Amino acid sequence: MLTSLLQALFSGLTVGSAYALIALGFSVTFATTRTLNFSHGDFVSAGAFIGVAVMFAVMGIPLSSTTFSGAQPPSAAQLLALLCAVVAMGLIGWLLFLVGVRPFAGRPGMAWVMSTLGFGVILQSIGMAIWGPKSVVVPGPFGTEVIRVFGVGMLPQEVLTLAVATTVMLGFDHVMRKTMIGKAMRAVAHKPEVAGLMGISVGAMMVGAFVVSSVLAGLSGFLLAPITQLSLFMSVAVGLKGFSAAIIGGLDNPRGCVFGGFLLGVLESFINLWSAQWREVAIFALVILVLALRPNGLFGTRVMDKV
Amino acid sequence: MTFASLARRVAFAAGLLAAAAQAQDIKLAYNGDLSASPTAQSGRAAVLGIQAAIDDINSAGGVLGRKLALVTRDDLAQPQKSIQNMVELIDNEKVVAVLGPTNSGNAMAWKRIPNEKKVISMQSNAQATDITKPLGSDADNYIFRLSMYDRAQAAGLMAYAKKSGTAKIGLLTETTGYGEGGLRDLQELAKIHGLSLLATEKFAVSDTDMTSQLSKMKAAGVETVIVWAQGTPMGLLLRSMEKVNYLPKFLASAAADNITFFDAAGKTLAGRAIFLRPFINPDTPAQKKLFERLAPKLAAPSAFIFAMQGYDSTQLLAAAMRQAGGTDGPKLREALENLQAPVQGVYKTYNKPFSRTQREGLTPADARWVHWDGDKLSEYSDTVTKSLTAADTNR
Repeated sequence: MLTSLLQALFSGLTVGSAYALIALGFSVTFATTRTLNFSHGDFVSAGAFIGVAVMFAVMGIPLSSTTFSGAQPPSAAQLLALLCAVVAMGLIGWLLFLVGVRPFAGRPGMAWVMSTLGFGVILQSIGMAIWGPKSVVVPGPFGTEVIRVFGVGMLPQEVLTLAVATTVMLGFDHVMRKTMIGKAMRAVAHKPEVAGLMGISVGAMMVGAFVVSSVLAGLSGFLLAPITQLSLFMSVAVGLKGFSAAIIGGLDNPRGCVFGGFLLGVLESFINLWSAQWREVAIFALVILVLALRPNGLFGTRVMDKV
Repeated sequence: MTFASLARRVAFAAGLLAAAAQAQDIKLAYNGDLSASPTAQSGRAAVLGIQAAIDDINSAGGVLGRKLALVTRDDLAQPQKSIQNMVELIDNEKVVAVLGPTNSGNAMAWKRIPNEKKVISMQSNAQATDITKPLGSDADNYIFRLSMYDRAQAAGLMAYAKKSGTAKIGLLTETTGYGEGGLRDLQELAKIHGLSLLATEKFAVSDTDMTSQLSKMKAAGVETVIVWAQGTPMGLLLRSMEKVNYLPKFLASAAADNITFFDAAGKTLAGRAIFLRPFINPDTPAQKKLFERLAPKLAAPSAFIFAMQGYDSTQLLAAAMRQAGGTDGPKLREALENLQAPVQGVYKTYNKPFSRTQREGLTPADARWVHWDGDKLSEYSDTVTKSLTAADTNR
């Protein structure tokens, strides 16, 4: 009994760490620009596909392949793929900000909702043209041998995801709270006009927020690919769960979002111990309940819309 | 008359002739997913098989002195699109029969259409049991199938569980239409066999970790699980089993033949799944010949089965047209329900495969036990499979 509880806890934390990274991506742009990238889920799968394409290229496998055929990509190829995935996603995030958000940011209306959603549809369609509808199995850097700790089975990629995601989130927290750039970002989030008067480049901070958010999406995709099977269709489920986590934790509070992600993952895993059939019902009922009691999430502070 | 104008006239006349020939072609259609989801692999394979059969029939002189032609429509795995395609194919393209679709849900969504318009629907891919049931108890039924179907598989798997003598059986199914349909069949069959199920657990098609559900099964003492799910989640289920160090006997739905299952589970674990399939590898000369002809265009060798089902479906339709002496829907239906001469297919020779009540061209007797051996499918055999008779599986 204890083992199955521990197993559920570990599984939940792993899934939760992925949700948390994605929720953090939502939070970064919301806190700075009060806009969201509604195609964040598509950014996650785009990052993963770019990583796979780079590994295929290095290993001389045709781009249209669906499998590594059991071959293990060398570590150098993995690192190069990771680098390409995050850099490419950063650039795409920049592009999204330039064409899809800046013209509408700070103005009344919801034009940016449609423009970010549309950007995601474009990304997915381009991906479909290049890679097609198939799913790809991606080998993780450390193989698939199960590691056992106190009777709890873990796949190396799950441990890696949990470790990397936690490290990145702690690092992010440190940067936001202790460094100049983090303080500047928070200042822009708090009062852009005053931050501008203080000599902070508001525009640059906003671009930075979108780049960071997209880099996080690329990283999540790269980490998730060996756990789930990579497909362009995974974006909807991933994006929705990440967004739910952000809503539960509070969109404008990065720490809250991370907490929301872990909470959602662990809850899902424990609900599975009771009845997997009712899991989605329970999870989304919880989201609605949180919104009803605390419209800004458990740790959110800002009133989202002043009417 | 200049040479150029003569050439133009000849070209025009040739065009007219071609158009006249085109008008006389007998049109068959394929309506299914050709691009949008992993099932597109089986849709594309079926189209390859149908086209190969049409080429063979046409080069042997066609049917009733006319050529066959194929019209394809992609339904993108969407029910709405599939319905729209059906109406368009029957009303505008005036096709004689429609093959496909790939997704059971889509077939269920438009089941009424071919029956009301009296046009044959030949199911070459979709497996849900209810597709071939008539709309009313004495209604004419225009739907036939040449594919393994869920009920036959479920009956085989449950018979295996019963014969193996274990009373500790659990079900693990996916929360999709496919999983729920399989679950219903399995629960009914358990009742027929008088077996009580120790546990029934579900998981979502996008789940990556099923350890919680497995912990419960393990605690309940389940020794044999019957799994009904698509390839990827089924593969990930085996990965989760390895994590919780719980590897019960694994009886699977036929989606385990998909390469996505093999990739997700990995070579070692994939071999644990035992399932039923009407075909293993091309072994007769006719099968080998068709395989060599189509293999370069197939996404994976395991998709060949759908090409073969497409090929044989087309041969059965051609035989029905010859017997009926025309392409009129009701006459074709009657001919299919009462085929006089045996039809030589690639999979087997069909002797009166259909009747007014028998809608399945492949029956439990055609099913064989299969598992993954390395990266190839091969026949599976143990004391239980050897002891199973047709009476056990034909429930």
